[in-house]
Amino acid sequence: MAKPIDLLQGTLDMLILKAVSLGPLHGYGILLRIEQISKERLEIQQGSLYPALYRLEHQGWIASEWGESDNKRKAKYYRLTAAGKRRFQAETEKWNRMADVIAGILRTTPEEV
Amino acid sequence: MTLCSRLRSCLRATVRRSRMESEMDAELRFHMEAYAEDLIRGGVPRPEALRRARLEFGGIENAKEECREARGVHFAETLLQDLRYGVRTMLRAPGFTVTAVLALALGIGANTAIFSVVNAVLLRPLPYDQPDRLMQVWHTPPQKSFPGMPIFTVSPANFLDWRNQNHSFEGMAAYGFGRYTITGSGHPETIRMVAGTAGLLSILHARPLLGRGFLDGEYELGHEHEALLSYGLWRSYFAGNPDVVGKNIQLNAQTFTVVGVMGPEFDFPISSDPGARAQMWKPLAWTDQERAIRDNHNYGVIARLRDGVALKQAQAELDAISNRLAQEYPNDNKGWGAIAIPMRDDLVSDVRPALLILLGAVALVLLIACANVANLMLARTFSRRKEVAVRTALGATRQRLLQQALSETLVLAVAGGTLGLVFAHYGVILIVKFLAQRLPRSGEIALDGWVLAFTLGISLLTGFAAGLLPALRMAKADLNEALKQGLGRASVDSGGSRTRNVLVVSEVALSLMLLIGAGLLIRSLWALHHVNPGFDPSRVVTMAVSVPPGKFAEPTQQIGYFSRVLERVRILPGVQSAGLIDSLPLSGDGSHQPISVEGRPPAPMAELPEVDVRLITPGYMSAMHIPLLNGRDVDDSDVAGRPGAVLLSESMAKSFWPNQDAVGKHLTLYFFPDVPRVVVGVVADVKMNAMNETQPAPTLYFPLAQLSPVRGAAWRSIPMSLAVRTNAAPLSVLPAITSAIRETDGDVPLLNIRTMDDSVSASLSPERFTMLLLGAFAGLALLLAVVGIYSVMSYSVSRRTNEIGIRVALGASRGDVLLLVVRQAMLLALIGSAIGIAGALSLSRLMASQLYGVRPTDPITFITVAALLLLVSLAASYLPARRAMRVEPMAALRYE
Repeated sequence: MAKPIDLLQGTLDMLILKAVSLGPLHGYGILLRIEQISKERLEIQQGSLYPALYRLEHQGWIASEWGESDNKRKAKYYRLTAAGKRRFQAETEKWNRMADVIAGILRTTPEEV
Repeated sequence: MTLCSRLRSCLRATVRRSRMESEMDAELRFHMEAYAEDLIRGGVPRPEALRRARLEFGGIENAKEECREARGVHFAETLLQDLRYGVRTMLRAPGFTVTAVLALALGIGANTAIFSVVNAVLLRPLPYDQPDRLMQVWHTPPQKSFPGMPIFTVSPANFLDWRNQNHSFEGMAAYGFGRYTITGSGHPETIRMVAGTAGLLSILHARPLLGRGFLDGEYELGHEHEALLSYGLWRSYFAGNPDVVGKNIQLNAQTFTVVGVMGPEFDFPISSDPGARAQMWKPLAWTDQERAIRDNHNYGVIARLRDGVALKQAQAELDAISNRLAQEYPNDNKGWGAIAIPMRDDLVSDVRPALLILLGAVALVLLIACANVANLMLARTFSRRKEVAVRTALGATRQRLLQQALSETLVLAVAGGTLGLVFAHYGVILIVKFLAQRLPRSGEIALDGWVLAFTLGISLLTGFAAGLLPALRMAKADLNEALKQGLGRASVDSGGSRTRNVLVVSEVALSLMLLIGAGLLIRSLWALHHVNPGFDPSRVVTMAVSVPPGKFAEPTQQIGYFSRVLERVRILPGVQSAGLIDSLPLSGDGSHQPISVEGRPPAPMAELPEVDVRLITPGYMSAMHIPLLNGRDVDDSDVAGRPGAVLLSESMAKSFWPNQDAVGKHLTLYFFPDVPRVVVGVVADVKMNAMNETQPAPTLYFPLAQLSPVRGAAWRSIPMSLAVRTNAAPLSVLPAITSAIRETDGDVPLLNIRTMDDSVSASLSPERFTMLLLGAFAGLALLLAVVGIYSVMSYSVSRRTNEIGIRVALGASRGDVLLLVVRQAMLLALIGSAIGIAGALSLSRLMASQLYGVRPTDPITFITVAALLLLVSLAASYLPARRAMRVEPMAALRYE
């Protein structure tokens, strides 16, 4: 297994939005889902997850409600709002464009300049 | 991001703080427990799993704090915290707090009081439907004949042409005033009646509360004996009985039918004087002869603009119609134009300048109060810099410090605003009491929602303005410097003291400007009080003898009645002389008419010179002590059938016959053409309309006994006022005078009984009140400036104790120390005065319209006020200077 890499600044929000876009999740579930999708290649500071969740909720991208977890415990579940969905699409496009540009720049050989 | 969700989250955060805290706890606990269970499932022993779960989560308190911040709990919560802290700090420094709150309360209170007047008088829409479409339409008279008179009442024929030819107005109506005596049911009472042509009520969109308005047929001659009652009259005279609608009442011995009652809020025309509100309305019906009158201008006109028509278009059309009329009727209309003025502007044009000056003055007072509080705060900031440093060291951010410092002034400002409302409440009562008679709509002045919103707004603004400078300084404080220096007194806070000096200089400058404004008004009022009105007002009592129309069928009978009244009054003990005039000086009433003069070519009426014309009886000139300059007074020999005698005012005699003797010259009054008249005497000029008249009004007097039929008008009762000069206090003779009049020919209402001294004083009351208000505001400003200088100087002395100690130790005398402090204060005061004088020079011309007999740049006022301010500054710096003088060098040095 490759060594996990630290999260790029500002990308945690996007990952959270992606995680909850697949269905409502509680905080711990979001953490697991991100690690699972990334095939354990990303490491997320557990403490930094919650401020990000609260911020996203405050901004109206995600909403929360209390529900029951798999092991019959009370847990707070987050889901994507309509505004969050639009935001997520916009962020994804922006990210892809950005990645293309950066990758293009990095691939450039001295002859091409 | 949606503003809504943010606000909701903030609100939730504030209101349900404890619940959110426990939810956050539960959520984080769930996270750690779930993780621990996963670890246990992977084979880690339970205690180890719990430990690792907590460890890998990281700083849990840190995370919570970040969460709170993220969801907006932070701002709301810290604001509350800061406000609480602010209140506590304030309570710990009562001296500072009381000073600051009082300064703000006075500033905010003055602003609130003046704003509530401005709001009611200048800003609030008139109490009619769509009032901004309502216009007052006036004649503009030819300036050659009516110098200084911008607008004039309207003649019937011109009104009818305007009304019929325009396409800009939905409706146009003329109205006139009259006094009627109501008899029949109960005691007789004089009623203020407004007669309006068709459409008056519909233009105002007004409907009666009870009954109906006037019908079309009721505007025809002979059918116009219908009346609408005002709500006030209905309640007071008819005891609010609804059955009065449809009943007959007796007005001036004629039968009128009451068709309806207007609602309590209806008032037309709106008058400055609540005692002059119209009490009844009736249809105005003109005879054919009256409808053709173009040369006698006696009616007010209102109109409502058609939808989509701009005032400019309407004015252009009125101009076109006026031009046409001037060409068609050059004799009557040459030079006469028409102007439409929005009704509210028309109503308040007189008081607007004074109100705006007062509004400016209170704004200055508030600025000074702000500067003062900022100054006090700055001094505190400096002495609190160690506290600030400690907070910074503990991790407070600049934004956090700024927020806290601002919350403190906000607490001050809100306290000041609340107290200011109390001040404003009493201020408004005072203003209404003194100004009610001159302020249109004064009844509507109140601390209403708009005023409260205004007060809240300026309180917050004030708090922000006063707190920003100190807050910025507080947040900028250098941590290392402050901690290193501790509370050392010798430390230099040059940036801070520069700011404070600038604040004091601006306080001085602003208060000097206000003081100069007040000084100019005082000088002007002084001049007005010492102006010679042309008559001697002392020991003269006057009253209107209101003979009801219809009491005498013929003019000669009424003339006979008046001479019988005079005969009886003159023989009363204590009466020196008595006479009658149709309009007393300073009453604001009186008529003009064109005259033609011997030796000048005949000219059309519109080109004839206009003069003030007064009807008098023998005895009037001597009762008023108006000096006779030439010729003789009118006397009992000047009766009908004898050559018409006239007296001219000095200015009229000089303008018509410069360098010649006017006595013996012949002239004709346009409206009384039948009698040729000859000048028999010249009398002194009299202030006809107001004490602040700068140009004497050319005036012609002729005897009542030689009144001839008026051109083109039916006989009406002549309103005359009696002037009696007494030997003793005039009011002591008054009962004898009134009973003598009653005994002459039964009850005739006597109105407006007052001494001439009172009339002079009342005519100056608005000027006096504006002066008093501005004077009070200037005094307030001076007080604040003195407090500012005092606080800056005593602060500076306490900071320089060490330096002063060294100076004294090195041999400086007490005098040197005194000079050191006083010189610094005087330098600030001098710079402030210089700026203030420059400001006053550029602003005082805005006051020119309010001044009489004094120029806006009056050097005496400027020099006196500046000297006063410097003297007061000197006094304010003396106390701190004395304290500096007493500094013991040893104590001061040890202090370090």
